[in-house]
Amino acid sequence: MYVWEFAALKPYWGLIWQGLLVTLFYTVTTVVAGLVIGLTVGILRTTAPRWVTVPLRLYIEVFRCTPLLVQLVWVYYALPVLIGVDMSPAMACFIALSLYAGSFYAEIFRGGIEAVDVGQWEAGRAIGMRRGKIFRRIVLPQATQVMIPSFINQTIMQLKNTSLVSVVAVGDLLYQGSVITASSYRPLEVYTTIAVLYFVVLFPLTLIADQVELRMGAHR
Amino acid sequence: MSANGTMLVAGNIHKAFGDNEVLKGVSLSVERGEVVTLIGASGSGKSTFLRCLNLLEMPQQGELAIGTHKFSFGRGMRPAGDAQLALLRRSVGMVFQHFNLFPHMSVLANITEGPVQVKGMGQAEANALGRDLLAKVGLADKADTFPSRLSGGQKQRVAIARALAMKPDVMLFDEPTSALDPELVGEVLSVIRGLAAEGMTMVLVTHEMAFAADVSTRVGFMNDGIMAEIGTPEETIRQPRSERLRAFLSRFHEAH
Repeated sequence: MYVWEFAALKPYWGLIWQGLLVTLFYTVTTVVAGLVIGLTVGILRTTAPRWVTVPLRLYIEVFRCTPLLVQLVWVYYALPVLIGVDMSPAMACFIALSLYAGSFYAEIFRGGIEAVDVGQWEAGRAIGMRRGKIFRRIVLPQATQVMIPSFINQTIMQLKNTSLVSVVAVGDLLYQGSVITASSYRPLEVYTTIAVLYFVVLFPLTLIADQVELRMGAHR
Repeated sequence: MSANGTMLVAGNIHKAFGDNEVLKGVSLSVERGEVVTLIGASGSGKSTFLRCLNLLEMPQQGELAIGTHKFSFGRGMRPAGDAQLALLRRSVGMVFQHFNLFPHMSVLANITEGPVQVKGMGQAEANALGRDLLAKVGLADKADTFPSRLSGGQKQRVAIARALAMKPDVMLFDEPTSALDPELVGEVLSVIRGLAAEGMTMVLVTHEMAFAADVSTRVGFMNDGIMAEIGTPEETIRQPRSERLRAFLSRFHEAH
């Protein structure tokens, strides 16, 4: 029978805390960047001419249909060679995670915008509103309501996906875990603790998502 | 020409969706204060024609003049811009079959949206206007309700108030009672009747034949993309000239 000894992790709490902060940092920054990319791409895909939408579609499909780990490694190793610049691991991670998130958010935005009845556009036009204003005041608020559950789910995925940055030696929660394991020889305690920390951060988010969904259902 | 002046002239309007020629040169002139009702079988082009009058549908050929707004359509014509269209639609109200209220706004906010956002009216003034209009359509107590809480007839009356809030010169009604339960039709028709009595210029597409006969100054029968017959209700509904209109009306009476 295995004897758990979480006390062995005591000297490493600073590192674990540091790793958690890095994980949260990447989550927040790449979610924000992903939302900006996603909103822009999502709107353009529903409104722009074909020569704009076709390349955007290509971007979305490339990032949705290749593993994030491959994207990360590619941005870190291949992209610097192609464009001739040095890329820090941190920068590569930020770029890959943001573009990845952006591709999924773009599809959520597009779906939400297209789910709004065309009659809403017509009603706005019929009272003399112009395109941009109809979008901002009539369509987007309704689309956002539809999108919120998918958003929260994608954001939860994003936090979990940040664990991949450990592959290029960025010191997130998982990376610190491997470092601590190497010096403490306590992999079970270390990885259990890390799993619990991910859970503790994400579980409240899923509860919020459920609440939001419930409340939206009641409003209809 | 009446002494009142012409409010709306649509000339030789053509519209096709792909190969399907829906309007084959329809013309209509409406005097100020007139109520013109368009009848006809589904697919006759009456709704498409109505939607051409505020350019929710863009004709491929023809002319449209409403008040000071003038448009020409056809090869070589510059398509009207978003701003120009928005200006036209300020003065042309429209009521849709499926209401199309804004579900994320209260009833009052639905009505004030146009005046505030399009005309730049102050919110307080718009609220006062909105409450007046709600009283007029018999829904004074529903200002703070959301559309999802209203019956179909109430929704349509809010939609009418929303269109009126822009103080339009012309009101267009696209089958305003077709989506309603039969017992709710009357309340909407009586609001429209009230507007007619006030002298509002209106063009309606409807299947309510008795109402059309009662409220209209003229009734137009559309068939296969043309204005087959148009005249006073007496002429078109009571003494139809063409075989097709006779057939349409008798089929209609059988069904109702």
